Amino acid sequence: MNIIEIENLTFSYPAAGKPILNNISLQVERGDFLAIVGNNGCGKSTFCKVLNGLIPHFISGDFEGKVLVDGLNTLESDVGTLACKAGYVYQDFENQIVRPTVLDDASFACLNYAMPDYRERGKEALTLCGLYGREDDYICQLSGGQTHLLALAGAVSLRPDILILDEPIAQLDPGHADRIYGVLRTLNEKHGKTIIVIEHHTEYIADYCKHVMLMREGGVAWKLPVREALRRVEELRECNIFPPQVTLAAHQMQREKRIPAQRPLPTTVQEGKEAFCHLSYHAAARRDKVRQTAGKAVVSFEHVSVSYRSVKGTDRVVFDGLDLEICRGDRLALIGSNGAGKSTMMKLMVGLLRPETGTVMLDGEDVRKQKPEELSQKISLVYQNPEEMFIKDTVAADIAYAMQARNIKDYTKRTERLLDRFHLTDFKDRDGRLLSGGQMRRASLAIGVALHPGILLLDEPTANLDIATRKEIMRTLSEMEEITETVVIATHDMQLVCEWANRIVVLCGGKVIADGTRDEIFKDRTVAKTAGIRPPEIFSMGQVLDNRALCYTVDEFLQGFREV
Amino acid sequence: MKTKKKLSETIYDKFSIDFLRNQVLKNAYGNDDTVIAKLDPRILLVWYLFIGLVPWFVDDIWFLMACFLLVMVTTKLARVAGLVLLLFVVGVFTQTGYLFVVSLFFGGDASTVIPLLILTLKVATCSLASITVFSGLDPDRLSNGLMWYGCPERLSFSISYAYRILPMLMEEFQNILLSYRLRGNPPASGTLVGNVRYLCYQVNIVMHSFYPLMLNTAKRSRTTVEALEIKGYRYAAVNREVKKMKLSTLKVTYTDLLFLAVSFLWIALSVLASALF
Repeated sequence: MNIIEIENLTFSYPAAGKPILNNISLQVERGDFLAIVGNNGCGKSTFCKVLNGLIPHFISGDFEGKVLVDGLNTLESDVGTLACKAGYVYQDFENQIVRPTVLDDASFACLNYAMPDYRERGKEALTLCGLYGREDDYICQLSGGQTHLLALAGAVSLRPDILILDEPIAQLDPGHADRIYGVLRTLNEKHGKTIIVIEHHTEYIADYCKHVMLMREGGVAWKLPVREALRRVEELRECNIFPPQVTLAAHQMQREKRIPAQRPLPTTVQEGKEAFCHLSYHAAARRDKVRQTAGKAVVSFEHVSVSYRSVKGTDRVVFDGLDLEICRGDRLALIGSNGAGKSTMMKLMVGLLRPETGTVMLDGEDVRKQKPEELSQKISLVYQNPEEMFIKDTVAADIAYAMQARNIKDYTKRTERLLDRFHLTDFKDRDGRLLSGGQMRRASLAIGVALHPGILLLDEPTANLDIATRKEIMRTLSEMEEITETVVIATHDMQLVCEWANRIVVLCGGKVIADGTRDEIFKDRTVAKTAGIRPPEIFSMGQVLDNRALCYTVDEFLQGFREV
Repeated sequence: MKTKKKLSETIYDKFSIDFLRNQVLKNAYGNDDTVIAKLDPRILLVWYLFIGLVPWFVDDIWFLMACFLLVMVTTKLARVAGLVLLLFVVGVFTQTGYLFVVSLFFGGDASTVIPLLILTLKVATCSLASITVFSGLDPDRLSNGLMWYGCPERLSFSISYAYRILPMLMEEFQNILLSYRLRGNPPASGTLVGNVRYLCYQVNIVMHSFYPLMLNTAKRSRTTVEALEIKGYRYAAVNREVKKMKLSTLKVTYTDLLFLAVSFLWIALSVLASALF
């Protein structure tokens, strides 16, 4: 039975030239777990807002066609009635939480719709979303992952049959991401909810979803069962969706006629085990990425302890006697779960935080004793949230700001050069906030390198980006080698880590638990387990086939595994 | 010299934005388990109306002292954050200190102290009572109490929403300030002129930081507005049933009555004392 039926839906925003949704017809079965994939700006979010009636009731525009949600025509019902049918969790979910405490927020919608059992419904939703016991906490006491679960609970409390989530795991470490998807799976299988996610991570789609819908230029290209959908490698890649690495590897092998053409492509490690069983590992050609020469130490942490004042109870200890040296020429990746202290470490290096004990030395001198204007020539920090770096009203003015403040003579010329290098010249007069995700990130990188710092610190440079934009940022990173000698990146993105870094530092529980090349880090499974990190899928694939295999990219996998 | 330097460093540290943020949050969130926070907001508001208004019309020193001691106890019970108390002390002291100097200048003497003391007591009592109620009460309970007395629903929602976004705004503000600090170039401090210029620069930066903060807030409010619509906020505003459900959580308990009784007895005693002596 279909829970969603759409006939010839066309929608355009006011004053937009062409429709954002173009002649969509679709049926979604009750109990489905559907992933929506597609290019940036192809209308995925707009489509989801049609389902809960925000379009056309709250956001106006030209609306044609018919949308039935659980038998209700969205044109004839109001947002309130539809909200009880389809719950929605935004990508920027923090902004949909409007109450100060947990239970209050979870039951807020039920209270507004005057349901007498609103508290029970809120509690029930919290239990379903794994937040049992946190009812009376304040929102600011929750971690990022828990906040997301709360946003989900707020939607679940109305007991809708459909739940829609816009990029639920974009900012989360693998542990938290698994938890979100685990909750979604329970809601889907045990409670019969229909779940719709907008998702870029095809590995998660392969593991959890039942169907995949590809959107292209406002239309539905196709909707297929998940395995079949992920095997359409070419089509997905055209839309900047990257199928699981296992599928990509098999696809390439098929083209090279190394595995039979009629064999369906594997989409998970489990399936890959069969598909690649005839291959064996040849270690000969590979070399680990190594630091050419360990340069002079540019930053060193000496017995550094830091803790945050907490609002309630005891202070939270982030570092306890941390020792670390960062050397010239390092391309260092800082990894660890959410809250392991990656951002704190970066703030220590630029002198924004003061260690309680111990010192942070920069070029052999205490960071706190150096003046900010000297410091910014040596080291620069690019925030995770680019919006917080835009302090002027155009991109060009933002890039020029630091140079202007220091009376650098040819700052206009240097600004132009930077704009050009980061492909920003076309929108140099726009406010940074109004750019797309990838453009914003490039602009923030340009701001960060404006003073030619010797050390560049990047906090999650690829978070919240789709794969195409991510690749673009990675290209920019490699181009930046000419400008800065030493780069430190804090990230959850293991593909980035494996392709880019020559040194990896794993943080866990306020300590460095591992420090070395990618081989040294990932060979040791206990490290990954304690720190809650996960190697790229293709690495796990290689390990399953042969535990001597250390392949970090699809290319390395293709070279390493050969026919016997 | 070294200790002086150390002292100035610790003072500087104390007044970092991080500290301010922590104090504000502590004030807003950190004291929901105190006796004051557990009181019924309606009772506390009535109490506040009395303590906040009556002292202005009474000049009896016994009565004023009693009121002042009472609000001192309640402020202690509400576990108000240190910064708020410091601001209170500085505020009240500069008020009277300044008046005292002016009165001396115009030929006053020590006898001027008494009327000034009375004025100080009035101001202090009133401020401390406000601090107790507005920082001791949980924002949600406060807004429910106001709603019970007929304040519009929008006001009470705004109060609790403000508490929700406060931590987010403060963190964002802190980060924007850090952007300025990392990329800006403050004038050298050290000499007197330098220090003044440095201070002006810092104030200037703080003012400029509000502009990006506003724009970022405007950007995120798009989602909030839609979410409020989905969560039925507009329906609730016109539904009397919802208001009734919200207010049904308010309950007057023995503690509330005890609190009122103790306050009443204490004030009565002071009136009695002033009549006797």
